[in-house]
Amino acid sequence: MSAAPWVASAALFALGLCALVLRRPLIAMLLGVEMAVVAVAVGITTTAAAAGDAEALASVLLVLAVAAAEAVVGLSLILQVHQGGRAPETDSLRGLKG
Amino acid sequence: MGCWQFWVLTAVAAAFGGLMLVQRSLYAAAVCLLVVLIQAGGIFLLAGAPLMAFLQMVIYAGAVMVLVVVAIMASGPGGADPGWSPLPRPLVGATAIVLFAELAWAARGLALPSGSPAAAAAAEAHIGAVLFGSHVLATEAAALLMFLSSLALIDRRSQP
Repeated sequence: MSAAPWVASAALFALGLCALVLRRPLIAMLLGVEMAVVAVAVGITTTAAAAGDAEALASVLLVLAVAAAEAVVGLSLILQVHQGGRAPETDSLRGLKG
Repeated sequence: MGCWQFWVLTAVAAAFGGLMLVQRSLYAAAVCLLVVLIQAGGIFLLAGAPLMAFLQMVIYAGAVMVLVVVAIMASGPGGADPGWSPLPRPLVGATAIVLFAELAWAARGLALPSGSPAAAAAAEAHIGAVLFGSHVLATEAAALLMFLSSLALIDRRSQP
């Protein structure tokens, strides 16, 4: 087994983190989070499949399920921000700023 | 499976991940992420986890990405980010490269265990027993979480 899955996991996580930090639209930030989650899933799944670890594969399944739920909640919140008359960007969410 | 297939999928996933980072259009960024998710499914398949590859395609590349595209359509006209990018693009690229190099250096001593396809197949066959046996609480909690997240889609303003 080559190191390619690890390289893919590292690259995708780095790119997802950059998207989360550098992008302003909330949806773009959410896409970065999803990419980071996929990166973790790639690393765990390839190792678990090679080791024959069923518990690790089950944990990846749970991660996918929770990530899907997180995407649903995040997107609904973004739509709520948009329907409240504000742009779905980080610059428009300053309600807690003192 | 040969190693070159892994490297091809890795290169395509990383390339489209980088494209997603620099896209002005949110639609294009979503399509780039879709390609990344498909490549991840391919990596799962090559690693000997076809069930995980199938679920990755159905749940992530299917349901989640359709939801993202619908949300982009509903979030406003254009689906573009006219203010991108606040930082110079070479700096964005250098940041991604530094992060990748750091993670790759941290993982340099790692080595995957030498398993067999039969072991991977046996592990996937055992997933159901794990999910509804020793990890039943986590499974039920995840199911409850998904149900509660679906309630977030209900627009209370549309109710009488």
